[in-house]
Amino acid sequence: MKLMLQIGVIFLICLVGEGISSILPIAFPGSVIAMILLFILLLTKVLRPDHIKEKSDFLAKNMAFFFIPAGVSIIKYYDVISKSILPLLIVCIITTILTFAVTAYTVTFIMRFLQKGETNNE
Amino acid sequence: MNELTSSPLFGIVLCIFTFELGIYINKKVKTPIANPLLIAIAFVIVILKAFHIPLDKFNVGGDIIAMFLGPATAVLALSIYNQIDILKKNFIPIFIGCLVGAITSMTSSYLLSKAFRLDEVIARSMIPKSVTTPIAMEVSKSLSGIVPVTVAVVIVTGIIGCVFSPLLIKLFRIKDPVAKGVAIGASSHALGTSKAIELGEIEGAMSGIAIGISGLITVFLSMLI
Repeated sequence: MKLMLQIGVIFLICLVGEGISSILPIAFPGSVIAMILLFILLLTKVLRPDHIKEKSDFLAKNMAFFFIPAGVSIIKYYDVISKSILPLLIVCIITTILTFAVTAYTVTFIMRFLQKGETNNE
Repeated sequence: MNELTSSPLFGIVLCIFTFELGIYINKKVKTPIANPLLIAIAFVIVILKAFHIPLDKFNVGGDIIAMFLGPATAVLALSIYNQIDILKKNFIPIFIGCLVGAITSMTSSYLLSKAFRLDEVIARSMIPKSVTTPIAMEVSKSLSGIVPVTVAVVIVTGIIGCVFSPLLIKLFRIKDPVAKGVAIGASSHALGTSKAIELGEIEGAMSGIAIGISGLITVFLSMLI
């Protein structure tokens, strides 16, 4: 599919996602709803992967870049957090590492546990 | 000067060149700490401060770049679709991983903040720090936290995940790409996911799924508090 049309399709799905997000009773981001919508469109073969491939690759590969403005906007909140910046930073670092480790080990453990169950049944 | 910085091109050009500079430095130094995103953010902040350019001026262009975040998150669906067999086979471990991860993040953030004698209202603002910004803001509001504090710690957490996840994978000897991806997405949302995509398609896809599942679980758990 032509690149301009790919951009149009992806942006349209995102726009619909934003629309659904605004009428939902709970806060759920439009981008994640758009991800679910796009996934359903792919599953139901309404869209084929090659319909959106080039544009998707471009967006996914440059995701870090799109976060620069969000990161820079932290200076807007500097006054709110400056008073306790060091403890906040330490808490963020420790809890992020802890969450990462606990999640990774949980996934690994459950995967092994289920695999054992499968082999026992065979 | 004033007219130059008022153009949307100003913010866009600044982002592109600081990021390219970040990639260059990253290649030269070869340490995960020299993360291109972190370097770009630091350079932009220094330049804005040094030339007394208001954030609003930068954001005229910055907002255009930030607009691509939604579509970039949405197209993770393609990676997930490509990895559908892995998702079907591992759905239970992925879901339980996100659940345990969300509980760990919420309780440890609150308790550790209290241990550091931070105010109750700050400790509450820390609870949703591992989920994507729009969800974190709503959860913070419902827990009577300070939303700007939450936004700040969500970004800091994302940057930490983005910078340190390759190190953490080595440190904790995580071998399975599914476990790597889910851990990154559950601990540091979309910002961490940008790093997971670089590690591999399975990692990126699983991290993307984890953003959604962890976000939903965090919303439901916050209703129980």
